[in-house]
Amino acid sequence: MTEPMKKTPLFDWHKAHGANIVEFGDYLMPVWYASARAEHLAVVSQAGLFDTSHMATLRVFGKDAYDLLQWCFTRNLDACVGKDLAPLTDGKCVYGLFLDEHGNAIDDSIVYKIKDREFMVEVNASMGGPVARHLMEQAKGRDVTVIDLTDKLGKIDIQGPASIKIMAKVLKDPGAVYEKLPYFSAKGHFDPASTLAGQAQMLDGTPLLVSRSGYTGEVGFELFVERDQTVKLWDAIMAAGAEFGLTACGLAARDSLRAGAVLPLSHQDIGHWPCIHNPWPFALPFTPSGDGFTKAFLGSAALDKAADAPYTLTFVGNDLRKVEAHGARVYLDGREIGTVLTCVTDMAIGRHEGRIYSIATPDKPAGLAIKGLSCGFIKVGSRLAPGTAVEIRDAKRAIQVLIETDVRPDRTARKALKTFM
Amino acid sequence: MYPSDVKYTKNHEFIKSLGDGTAVVGITSYAQEALGDVVFVDLPEVGATFGAGDEFGTVESVKTVSEIFMPAAGEILAVNEELEAHPEFVNEDAFGKGWMVKVKLAGALPADLLDAAAYAALVSEESH
Repeated sequence: MTEPMKKTPLFDWHKAHGANIVEFGDYLMPVWYASARAEHLAVVSQAGLFDTSHMATLRVFGKDAYDLLQWCFTRNLDACVGKDLAPLTDGKCVYGLFLDEHGNAIDDSIVYKIKDREFMVEVNASMGGPVARHLMEQAKGRDVTVIDLTDKLGKIDIQGPASIKIMAKVLKDPGAVYEKLPYFSAKGHFDPASTLAGQAQMLDGTPLLVSRSGYTGEVGFELFVERDQTVKLWDAIMAAGAEFGLTACGLAARDSLRAGAVLPLSHQDIGHWPCIHNPWPFALPFTPSGDGFTKAFLGSAALDKAADAPYTLTFVGNDLRKVEAHGARVYLDGREIGTVLTCVTDMAIGRHEGRIYSIATPDKPAGLAIKGLSCGFIKVGSRLAPGTAVEIRDAKRAIQVLIETDVRPDRTARKALKTFM
Repeated sequence: MYPSDVKYTKNHEFIKSLGDGTAVVGITSYAQEALGDVVFVDLPEVGATFGAGDEFGTVESVKTVSEIFMPAAGEILAVNEELEAHPEFVNEDAFGKGWMVKVKLAGALPADLLDAAAYAALVSEESH
């Protein structure tokens, strides 16, 4: 039996604006409008707007909600915020993983503490049901309720340095919203009945949950709103953003931006192998010395014994040419050593005398032509030092790439909001 | 909507005969739209010879890397060197500035090439 594909509230807008539509998860989503390249560059230099209503949102609440998440989620909710590892307090959110008992990734997630005994769990497209079932199975007698809110919500991401000025035109009292809103924190609520709903609103009073996060490496917000209000919010942001070069963006730009920001795509870069040796150690509750975890959690016993698990490493090519990741292999000195997980082109970067520059790099050499570099992730049997040259091959071509620790430099996600006002 | 002075392949290349035994080859406007932003075009050396249907290069877009095939047998007389700096010409003007190679034809154009009407029918079928 084939279920019909789902549409977000913005589907008609995407069609009317020339989007190329693809199937992603259970959804029909825009992959690009006029130009994925222009969309990618807009987010790095101005701002882009993404329909992310296909993402799934769970409400996890009750006396034992904290307990359940502390067992199932990889971050230690008592010690995960900032360099000092402060507890997750109201209005803060944190990125981590849901693992199975083998230490394999079920999905990655951002967990929000809304208030005492009340959490919001953001997972990937089509993962609301599976993660909700997983949490309920693990709940076993705990006093906790998990509700999948996905079909009741719309979600829009605005990303890029102009996002701050643009949302200042959309929000009622933006100064109050922006005050003390560091990276990975949130204000407001999408539910008009919530006591938090007054914290962040559109000019007409429509309540929003404004989260200072995203999937591009650039500064901006993820906005959660009641489903029926999604189109109104989108239109208001597009109108406010016209003077700042705001560009509607599809999934292709989202994919190339996140790879340039060294962020994983769930079920592609993390998945059915122990989630331990990868560029995302911050997703696990390592002790400061890195030789153990600060808590026991579902999957931690398996990870403790996963010394021989594969290594996921970041690579960057020497020009913009890429390979088809699916089925592509990795070679070191002619010997096959692994597979390619992601290979895309970050159109905003280029190499010059061994250094990677972004179009946003302040001290980039005058006249440097930035045409893009291929980048992504490989999975191999052992660690390779940064700078190691490997070859990745698909059926059509072989390209030389270098193991790197970072991809697109001078990203803005963590900079203070006042920098952009 | 497709120029009538060129012939088309089912793989979405076009060939425009210049009447002096030479022809210009590229990909169609439909092909560039399906590919999305063209970011790199890999073309053969001048002097290389190809049979009809032979792969003569690749077009890389944000989406994928696609082979391109010769609509007719011939020898490469010139390649569009502007595409190295401006691959977007393929998107902007597939039948004009986005041309890829000029060939000296080895003989008559193959009989199975499509005219504009037949190509438009093929495209309309594929996009449904």
